[in-house]
Amino acid sequence: MSESTLFLIAFVLYIVSAVFYFSCLFSKKENLAKIGYFFAFLGLIVHTLALIMRTVESGHAPFTNMYESLSLFAWASILAYVIIEITFKIRNAGAYFMLIVIALMALASSPLMPKEAMPLVPALQSYWLWLHVSVTLLGEAFFAVAFITSIMYLAADTKEKKGKKTGLSSAKLDSISYRSIAIGFPIFTLGGLVFGMIWASKAWGSYWSWDPKEVWSLITWLVFALYLHTRIVMGWKGRRAAIIAILGFLAALFTYFGVNYLLAGLHSYAYA
Amino acid sequence: MKALWRFFTSVKLVIVLLIIIILTSILGTLIPQQRSPQEYAVHCGSLANLFQRLQLTRLYHSFWYIALLFLFALNIIICTLTRLNPKLKKTFHPRLESETKSILSLKISERFRKNSNLSETKNEFEKQLHFRHYRRREKQDENRVYLLAQKRTLGWFGSDLVHLGLLIILAGGITSGLGGFKKDLVFSSEGQILQAPQAKFKLRLDKFETENYPNGSVKDWISTLTVLEEDKPRLTKAIEVNHPLSHKGLIFYQSGYGWNWENASLEIAVKKKDDPAFSQELKLRVGEKKAFGDGGAKISVSQFLPDFILNEKNEATTRSLQPHNPAAFIEGWQGEEKIFSGWIFAKYPDYALLHGAKETNLSLELKSYEASQYSVIQAVRDPGVNLIWVGCALLMAGFFLAFYWPTREIKAILEETQGKTEVIFGGISAKSQEAFQAEFNEIMTSLRRSK
Repeated sequence: MSESTLFLIAFVLYIVSAVFYFSCLFSKKENLAKIGYFFAFLGLIVHTLALIMRTVESGHAPFTNMYESLSLFAWASILAYVIIEITFKIRNAGAYFMLIVIALMALASSPLMPKEAMPLVPALQSYWLWLHVSVTLLGEAFFAVAFITSIMYLAADTKEKKGKKTGLSSAKLDSISYRSIAIGFPIFTLGGLVFGMIWASKAWGSYWSWDPKEVWSLITWLVFALYLHTRIVMGWKGRRAAIIAILGFLAALFTYFGVNYLLAGLHSYAYA
Repeated sequence: MKALWRFFTSVKLVIVLLIIIILTSILGTLIPQQRSPQEYAVHCGSLANLFQRLQLTRLYHSFWYIALLFLFALNIIICTLTRLNPKLKKTFHPRLESETKSILSLKISERFRKNSNLSETKNEFEKQLHFRHYRRREKQDENRVYLLAQKRTLGWFGSDLVHLGLLIILAGGITSGLGGFKKDLVFSSEGQILQAPQAKFKLRLDKFETENYPNGSVKDWISTLTVLEEDKPRLTKAIEVNHPLSHKGLIFYQSGYGWNWENASLEIAVKKKDDPAFSQELKLRVGEKKAFGDGGAKISVSQFLPDFILNEKNEATTRSLQPHNPAAFIEGWQGEEKIFSGWIFAKYPDYALLHGAKETNLSLELKSYEASQYSVIQAVRDPGVNLIWVGCALLMAGFFLAFYWPTREIKAILEETQGKTEVIFGGISAKSQEAFQAEFNEIMTSLRRSK
């Protein structure tokens, strides 16, 4: 079986999973969410195989062009979701989460994305490619979880204020956002900033060059630092915290995609 | 003075500074940085002057951005110090809680009665805490015992370590900015020796190679460098992208490459249209003139372009320094008289642009072209870089403590009345409520079950 077939199977499994999650959301039958979770997990396994296959075929880490990194981001998001799901049992969030994953997978499989594996340019031939990109992505995947739960929080909070009941209480959603950020922030710092600086110093001769991608990852970092300080020291919770978490993830997303297309810089070779 | 101190200790200042730094950093990615004044004049029009005046064109090195970072650093130092003292006290000289009410107001708390006397209950409690690696302190009244148990107290200092790491990183950045430099060493041919900047040794380029993938794209650039100290070779290393050479505080990176096209040597095949038997290959350098055949005819090459293109003014120029469309400008001579001139192309042998006074019966082909390659090595001295790594290590250690090593604290009061003991105990763990709750419940069940 080829890598693209496996990718497609994973994509289909994610869609099936989303269908079950959504039917759970509307019918309130817990079992449907369990089936959804099962398909998501199955998708994760198939997706993992697809990524391994791509690595073996191309001979380098599977995140050197847009197709690969979208696919990897979707993969990391599912992984983060599975971890959060095991820890906190938040079945309802699955529906929204799968939507993001499906959007990423759809983008990756769009005909506009160049799919053929290109040989690595000299600067990318380093094991730091693995360390820097995969650890950063894992951190960002936790930000994605916080993004989803923060949006759900805003919806749940509005409902609760009108006196309606919600599946997951807003307090719980708020706490999950915080916990996801608390897990993701150190990982993002390590992968994005520390590993990034080490690699930059090896490849470019300077650990920090104020390249747009560097600046945007610093901005992302500062937004989440703001989240943690307002929350821990000043006790901001709820709506304001949710909004900062949402902005933080959008900054991460812009760092990841927007910078490549909109702002030129040292990192631009990475995504031809 | 007091007001100033209060200003710097306030967390609100941190928040405001963070927001300002975020917004100004975004601005710096929207305005292209460090371009020439002309470029700003073209793209930004009347704003160009304002941008330059406000140093927005080199925002991250501007006076006010650096001042912002300094203010931020000062704020971090003061906030961290004012919060450090209570934490040290909490760890090394903690106050034992004597108020039942304040224990019961903790997030997790319990109270129950045990059918054993005070010292038995206390021993059992201590055993349970010891078993779970809690550090304990106690104080005894006549019929009361006050207990405080803590573990992972280092977790409290995680944020301080993070802040210390950040300050060291900032210090490293300043050190790099003030004491560092970068200089390009251009080796235009193999064997060339260049003085290392601000150092007592020289560098020799032994060999320079470009490796290509089968599809023609570049796989790697490799420069073999030898360090010469007092003209004696010290060490030799092949450096490539991602694998620099480090010697006596200087680091040498492969940063560029190219060809010396102005000195290219070419091979040109000369044929006569009316005499298929005539064919001669000439080797000549740019600027050279050579005779061919036996009629006193000569050709010369006056220019070579690696990537030929005609610009808007219809002038021949080169689009890049890569040999994508190599072309040579040839002149044909009979004695001192120029008879024709024009461009010939290596990739398009049929498309020669020869024109002259008379129709020529010659056909010329650019068979091959060669030029020596040069290698650009960037020499970097960065005295701040080690501070950066130390700062990063502290930062990550701090994060680990703050987020994955949360402090747990249990406070208890045991009170004996008529041979029975009332246990009032509660606990806090800021960042791991669930896990702590589980441990707390375990302690409680084992304590209740025991005799």
